[in-house]
Amino acid sequence: MAQFIVSADSREKRGKNAARQLRRSGKIPAVLYGNNESPIAVSVSPKELSSILNSSSGHNTIFTLGFQDAKTSVMLKDWQFDPIKGHLLHADLVRIALDKVLQVNVPVNAVGEAKGVKLEGGIFEFVLRTVEVECLPSDIPENISIDISELSIGSNLRVSDLKVDPKIKILSDSELVVAHVIAPKEEKVAEPAAEAVVAEPEVIKKGKVASEEEGEPAKGEEKKEKEKK
Amino acid sequence: MLMPKKVKYRKQQRGRMKGKAWRGSEIAFGQFGLKVMEPGWISDRQIEASRIAMTRFIKRGGKVWIRLFPDKPVTKKPAETRMGKGKGAPEFWVAVVRPGKVIFEMEGVKEDVAREAMRLAANKLPIQTKFVSRIGQE
Repeated sequence: MAQFIVSADSREKRGKNAARQLRRSGKIPAVLYGNNESPIAVSVSPKELSSILNSSSGHNTIFTLGFQDAKTSVMLKDWQFDPIKGHLLHADLVRIALDKVLQVNVPVNAVGEAKGVKLEGGIFEFVLRTVEVECLPSDIPENISIDISELSIGSNLRVSDLKVDPKIKILSDSELVVAHVIAPKEEKVAEPAAEAVVAEPEVIKKGKVASEEEGEPAKGEEKKEKEKK
Repeated sequence: MLMPKKVKYRKQQRGRMKGKAWRGSEIAFGQFGLKVMEPGWISDRQIEASRIAMTRFIKRGGKVWIRLFPDKPVTKKPAETRMGKGKGAPEFWVAVVRPGKVIFEMEGVKEDVAREAMRLAANKLPIQTKFVSRIGQE
């Protein structure tokens, strides 16, 4: 696991105005909490956090946060992206006690090519892309590999099939399906309709009207009909 | 064609399309996706045309998720009708999309195939879109 050091500054001003000013200056607002200590509003460089998120261990990376001459081991707990531009907007950093076990979500990595895809023409589908595990911070795996080469159409691999280090305890339900190979669906070629019928959905009537006058037109509709006449 | 089974009211006002799609802006099911980059209405026919374009290209190779539903009725007055006399009749259904929304997702195909399928699907849509991948998401 690569070592990352991120520096943080304290953040005095709050609110969206101050947050936007901060983002314009090249930093993002973040909050540091956890480990039975009070939460602190900080500002960090989005580039440094992006490099952590894009590293091989991703969001499970434990890195050092330099804040006010003190160094703390932290981890990314949550983060927000701009939906269009894709850059970081905010991050939650959680303090980590290196001697205590913690729960993290670890990605599952498929190895090989499924027999059902290669020979039978099925579709491989990931159902569960991450599993929750409990371990010491130093034992967090980058990913959990699963061999899918023996997977044929209709068969699946469950959480209980995952092979992990004995130091790691899987918390996800052992019966959950991680991946399976499904048969491809035939695309039905719809015959062109002779006449395009514009079907209208049923209009939900209000309680009393619906129970008493089911099938009869509502008062508003009656009025309209009269107007038409 | 996609449309609701039941509605509370037959006709709707047009509404505004302010802001970004904060919900549904990340890939949730598949490996690749198509992200909308501007606000707009996508009609039931456009969704169907995109779906057909995608599934025909990938043949039987992958799985496709459609993450938008046309639940807004659009009315139209008949041709050569004078103004007034009430709102027109419901003509078709649209899905309102805001920039950032992932509208289609795909799994079980290679990236180049997914990219081409999404390009063909995007050609059927009235708005700008972008191909996105789960790998670049985090």
